Amino acid sequence: MSIPKLEFPPFHLPAEAEALRGEVRAFLKETLPGIQTEDRFASWNTPSPEFSRALGAKGWLGITWPKQYGGAERTFLDRYVVTEELLGNSAPAGSHWVADRQSGPLLLKFGSEQQRQAILPRITRGECYFSIGMSEPDSGSDLASVRTRAEPVPGGFRVNGTKVWTSGAHRNHYCITLVRTSGQHGDRHKGLSQLLVDLKTPGVTIRPIINLAGRHDWNEVTFSDAFIPEDCLIGNEGDGWLQVTSELAFERSGPERFMQNVYVLRELIRVLGRQPAKRASAIVGRLIARLWTLRQMSTAVAGMMQGGQSPAIEASLVKDLGTIYEQDLPEIARTLAESDATTEDDLADFLDIAQYATMMAPSYTIQGGTTQVLRGIVARGLGLR
Amino acid sequence: MDRETRDMLLETAGRFFTERSSKDVVNGVEKGVWPADLWKEIEEMGLPLIAVPEAQEGVGGTLADLLALLRVAGEHAVPVPLAETTLANLLVAASGGKPASGPSTLALGGSDLSLQGNRLSGKVTRVPFASVADRFVSVVNAGGKPTLVVVARDEASVEETPSHAGEPYGTVVFDNTPVEFSAASAVSADRALELAALMRTMQMAGAADKVLVTAVEYCKQRVQFGRPISNFQAIQHMLAELASCVAATIASAESASRDADEGGLADGGSFSIAAAKTQCSDFAHRIAALSHQSMGAMGFTHEHILHHYTRRLWVWRRDFGSEAFWGEKIGQAFAKAGRDAMWPALTESKYAA
Repeated sequence: MSIPKLEFPPFHLPAEAEALRGEVRAFLKETLPGIQTEDRFASWNTPSPEFSRALGAKGWLGITWPKQYGGAERTFLDRYVVTEELLGNSAPAGSHWVADRQSGPLLLKFGSEQQRQAILPRITRGECYFSIGMSEPDSGSDLASVRTRAEPVPGGFRVNGTKVWTSGAHRNHYCITLVRTSGQHGDRHKGLSQLLVDLKTPGVTIRPIINLAGRHDWNEVTFSDAFIPEDCLIGNEGDGWLQVTSELAFERSGPERFMQNVYVLRELIRVLGRQPAKRASAIVGRLIARLWTLRQMSTAVAGMMQGGQSPAIEASLVKDLGTIYEQDLPEIARTLAESDATTEDDLADFLDIAQYATMMAPSYTIQGGTTQVLRGIVARGLGLR
Repeated sequence: MDRETRDMLLETAGRFFTERSSKDVVNGVEKGVWPADLWKEIEEMGLPLIAVPEAQEGVGGTLADLLALLRVAGEHAVPVPLAETTLANLLVAASGGKPASGPSTLALGGSDLSLQGNRLSGKVTRVPFASVADRFVSVVNAGGKPTLVVVARDEASVEETPSHAGEPYGTVVFDNTPVEFSAASAVSADRALELAALMRTMQMAGAADKVLVTAVEYCKQRVQFGRPISNFQAIQHMLAELASCVAATIASAESASRDADEGGLADGGSFSIAAAKTQCSDFAHRIAALSHQSMGAMGFTHEHILHHYTRRLWVWRRDFGSEAFWGEKIGQAFAKAGRDAMWPALTESKYAA
C-alpha cells in the first residue's frame, strides 16, 4: 500500500488551554453585549476596532509571540482555544484577524528586527490591522502569475499594478503585497518578493468592490508609481514565493473554516423549539455530528502542528470538508425550518438569517484556496500527480 | 497493553487477516460456508479475549485495544463475528462471568426483551451472525436492573435473513427460553447498544480506509485514452473528495474510541459515540458512491473485492442504530437544552444539558 495513511490522532487540548477557555468565555459574556457591529451575527470578517483593542488589552492577540514584541509566549493550542471561542460566541474579530493569524507570524519569521519592533506590539494591542495583497485581476488560484511589479530605485521600489479582493484595505493599516521584483512574468516562482505596504502611501488608490450581498469587504488596490522604501521589503528579495506559501498554511488550518456561520445552527435550534419532531431532531443531530467531527479533525491537526509536524494534506482536508459543511448548512437549515419552525414569526426571522447566510456561502469554498486547489493538494498527497 | 505491544499485535493481526481472510473466504461466507479454520486460528491467537482481564484468563487489553483491533479487522472484511465476540466477552467478563470459547454474537436493540426468572422472551431483528454464533449475549432490564444474559443458540429460534453484505444475519426469537448465564450487568442496555455502535464505527473506519486505498491503486493502474486515469483531474478531485470522507470517518471513530476508553466502560464518550456513528453512517453513502464511480464497471462486479467493503459500509451503517437513530438522540438533547448550550457542549464532547 503506497498511499500515506490518513491519520487524525485524537488530541486533548491541554489543561492550561482549557483554563484559558473559561477566561475567554467570561470576558466575551461581559464584553460582547456592549459592542455594536454592522452584522447581526458577527464572525471573523466583522470588523470592530473597539473589540480588538479590548481583546488586545487581555493579552490574547499575538498570544504565541515573544514577550519582547508584546506577545504572551503561550502555545499554539492556547491560540486555538481563543480563536474557536471567538467564533463559537460570534465575536466581531474582523479587525485583527488577518494580522493575528498570518501577517504577524510572517513578520516574526521573515521580517527585519526593525519591522518586528515597529509593528508587532501594535498588533498585540489590537491597534494595527492587515490586508492580504496576493490576488490580482489575472492571478487568482494561479498566484505565481502575479504581474504587480516593484522596480528597484534608489532607496526602495517603484510599484505599479493592481491587487483585488483585498479585504478590509479601506480600514486597515498595512497590506503585505506579493510583487515581482525581478525577471519576467513567465518566470513563475522566481523573482517574487513581499513588501510591507502602508496603505496611506501616495500612489496607492483603494476602491471598493461590492460583493453580491451588498457588503463592502473587498477592494481593488491600485499602485501607480507608488514608492515603497527599501526597509519595507520582507525577508529576502526573491523569496516571496516561499514566504507566501508558509503564510497560506496559517490560513488553511483553523476553525474559521467550519465555524464561520455557526450562528445558523444555533438559531435553527432556537426556532425548532424544545421538542422537535423525530425527523427534525435527526437532521439537527447530523449537522451537530458533522461539526463535532470537524472539530475533532481540526484539534488533531493543531496537535500535530504543536508537535512540530506540518500536516499540509490534513489541513487541506479539513478546509475542504469544513467549507462544504458551511455551504450546506444554510440550505439544510432553511428547508428544515420551513417545515418545522414552531411559530410563523420565528420562521420569518429565521428565513432572513438563512437567506443572508446563503448569499455569503459561495465565498467559503473560494477564499483561502478554492475547493479545487485544495483537492489538487490532496491528490498530490495521494500520489496521483 | 502498552503502545509497542499493541502495535505489534495489530501488525500481526493485519498480516494474518491479509493471508487468511482472503477473497475466497469472504465470498465463501456469502455462499454459506463457515470458515471454521479462520475462526480456530483467531481463537488460537487469543483475539476474542483481547479485552478480558488476565485474571479471567484473557489477554488483559483495554477497550481501546479491542477497538484498534476491530479497525484492522474492518480493513480486511473479516467475515466472522470477531467484533461481536470480543465485545460480548468483554461484557460477560465485566459482569463477573467467564467467557466461553466459540463465536458469540450480540442480540441488542430488541425493545420488548423480558426476563422472567431464568427465562427470556422477545424478538431481536438483524442479529449479526445469528445462525453461526454459539450463543447470544444481551442486556435486558429485569425488575429495573440491567441484567446480562447469555443464551445458547440452539435454545432460541433463528430465522435467517442474510445481510446485504452476505453475512448470516437473522431474526432471533426467544420464547420463554432458558438462559445459560445471567448476572447483574456492568453496563445498561442502552450502553451495550452504544458500545456495539462504537465497535461498528471502528470497523467502518477500517473498511473506508481500504476503499480509498483500493480506488487510488486502481486509478493509478487503469489506462484509458493512453494514460492512467489518475492523470485526469476529474478523477483526482473525486479521489480527493473520497479521501476527505474517509478522513472524517476515521477521525470520528478514533475520537469516540478514545473518549469511550478514557471515560470508562459504564458511560465514557456517550455523546462522542453517538456523533461518530452518525458521522460514519452519514458518509458511507458518499464513500461508496465516489469509489464506485472512480472504478467504473470493474468495481461493480462480484469478481472485484470493492463490494466486500462498500456493502459492509451499507450494512454497518444500519447496525446498532443508523444516523437517523443516533442523530435523533443528539438532536433531541440539543433542542431540549436550547441554543446557548450547544457550543459549550461541543467543546466538551457531551450531550447538551
